[in-house]
Amino acid sequence: MTRVTAKLIRQARSISPYLPPLLPANRSINQALLELKWIKCELPKNEWRKAVNKRLKWVPLQYILKTQPFGNLNILCKDGVLIPRWETEEWCMKLANLIKGLKLEKLSMIDACTGTGCISLLINDELKSTATNLDIHGFDVSGKAYDLAKENNEFHHLSVNFHLGDVFDEEILDKLQLTDVNLITSNPPYIPEEDYNKSVLLNGVSKSVKLHEPKLALVGNGEFYYNLLYNLVFPSSADGFVFELGYKEQADLVNEVAKLNGWRVGYMKDSAEKIRCVLGWKADGKFKSLKDLCSYVY
Amino acid sequence: MITKILKFKSSFINLVRFNRYNSSTNILHPSELPQLHPLLIKRVDILKNDLQNLSIKLESQYNEEIQTNYDKISSILSKYEEFNSVRSEITELYNITDSELIKDATMEITNLQPKYTDLIKELNYHLIPPIKFAEKPCIIEMHPGVGGSEAALFTFDLLQMYINFCHFKKWKFTIISMNKNSSGFINEAILSIDEPGSYDTIRFESGVHRVQRIPETETKGRVHTSTAAVVVLPKISEGNESTLVEDEKFFKPNEIRIEYMRASGKGGQHVNTTDSAVRIVHLPTGIIVKQQDERSQPRNKAKAFALLRSKLAEIERIEEINFQKSIRNEQVSTTDRSDKIRTYNYPQNRITDHRCNFSLHDIDGCMKGNKLIEIINKLKEDDYKTRLRQLIGDYSTK
Repeated sequence: MTRVTAKLIRQARSISPYLPPLLPANRSINQALLELKWIKCELPKNEWRKAVNKRLKWVPLQYILKTQPFGNLNILCKDGVLIPRWETEEWCMKLANLIKGLKLEKLSMIDACTGTGCISLLINDELKSTATNLDIHGFDVSGKAYDLAKENNEFHHLSVNFHLGDVFDEEILDKLQLTDVNLITSNPPYIPEEDYNKSVLLNGVSKSVKLHEPKLALVGNGEFYYNLLYNLVFPSSADGFVFELGYKEQADLVNEVAKLNGWRVGYMKDSAEKIRCVLGWKADGKFKSLKDLCSYVY
Repeated sequence: MITKILKFKSSFINLVRFNRYNSSTNILHPSELPQLHPLLIKRVDILKNDLQNLSIKLESQYNEEIQTNYDKISSILSKYEEFNSVRSEITELYNITDSELIKDATMEITNLQPKYTDLIKELNYHLIPPIKFAEKPCIIEMHPGVGGSEAALFTFDLLQMYINFCHFKKWKFTIISMNKNSSGFINEAILSIDEPGSYDTIRFESGVHRVQRIPETETKGRVHTSTAAVVVLPKISEGNESTLVEDEKFFKPNEIRIEYMRASGKGGQHVNTTDSAVRIVHLPTGIIVKQQDERSQPRNKAKAFALLRSKLAEIERIEEINFQKSIRNEQVSTTDRSDKIRTYNYPQNRITDHRCNFSLHDIDGCMKGNKLIEIINKLKEDDYKTRLRQLIGDYSTK
């Protein structure tokens, strides 16, 4: 990435002394001005200096402001837990609207690798005013994530049950004592190790992510989808699943494994036209309308 | 001594006068009461004519539309009759000179006066067709025009003026967005006033505002002239998450293109962008709206949709006016958005509105929000007259 020019720094300083430290992460004065505005809106004046200096060290703005808007929620964010992304928000809202349209009697859902708990909390928030009975669970292997998810649940006065658990654990369903499940969602780590070490221009991760977000929540590949299917989807009575992903190969793998077990599979693109989700449904199950969300069905 | 007596005498007379005046303060001479505009009275004649025509039509054949029209006009006319009778009653009562009856008459008049003012208000409202979107809240869009950074400073002053005006009127408002260019000067400000009916008051602000003053950035003390463009739009949609679904349905999918300002790359877990800007292009008209102020992308999108709908509504309104103008085939002076409507001259402490040739010699009071209403009232009066004239014109040519 090109260096921030001295001219740009001078120009920024003439507008506000808080502005130059925001330049490396933002690249342009306009975007830096926006971030400065948000910092000024959400933090007391004596923390502004500290906040911009943190940003100079590439700390994500969401960690500095401690929140990230997610649908109607304002999810709390803390160091050590992955920040919810707008792509996740987008497919979550689509999924929530689809479930609303189904008018189910009962929705029992598990969100694996839940992180901040954003997916399960948003679904809970969107459906709490409908007639559907909700029984939503989320689990994560990280203690930090588990604590934060519970905090978020209390903060928004919602009723998601969070647990500590590992997707690689074959007896996870028994341990959580969940048998009657109809939907499984997850946003597992999906960046392959080799891409994690590349620059962002070569489909790698951005500097801010690599320096400050937990590697545990980022690096993973096919093994996660394999375990999600074998430990959660197949042993439970689920009718549908939605997993976030970043590569076409991951969707192909899910299709190959799930197809053999009588599932229909498709994938969905986000509004930036990148492959984002793999969806699965039973041909005659409750969630067969997941098909409508797909941009391609295998 | 003599002067003292004289002084005493004159003050005594004043006292007596004051007493007499005081006894009849709440009674006005019939000519001092608010009157119906002569053009409106003309309109009554036209309405009477219409009513006759309609009744003839109704006799030959029944039609629901004609019937409702007939009912509407006849209700207005019956109000007018009532108004006439109240007025003549007041005049009669006022002309009573009998000292015994005068007390009763005064009482009667004080009872009738509020009724009279109510009736005149209603007639003023009903005799003229209302303008489109008058009952809506509004959105004010401001852009600096010619004059560089001074124009930007003036745009900010205008924004402050409208905010102060909202405080003065006790109206709720929100700044939807405020964008600054890379030198830190404002290049766009959008203010939303959430008071229903505020569009009817604020709509006169549309146009180019010119300022003449010594700018803060000027070092040699010269007076500069700069401009700022103000566009007032009717607010159609609230522009939050709950109205987003409805707003999206309002447009056909092939009519709009939604663009997200995203850098290329993998997206998802790979990056944690804070860029939540949304741009909507309305393909049939080529209107582009961009929103980036909120951290949440759906909220930006909702705001952008609301703004787009407001812009389209304004275009629709202007087209309608132009269409009516073309039917009348006449030259009516209306302000275009490119016309200079008002000059703020700081050295002379003067604000002149060029549409009604009204000057207010209190810039500070206007910028603080409490004097702006004087200019607007003047414009409203003027506008009312033009609309009346157009109305009469319409009827006489038909």
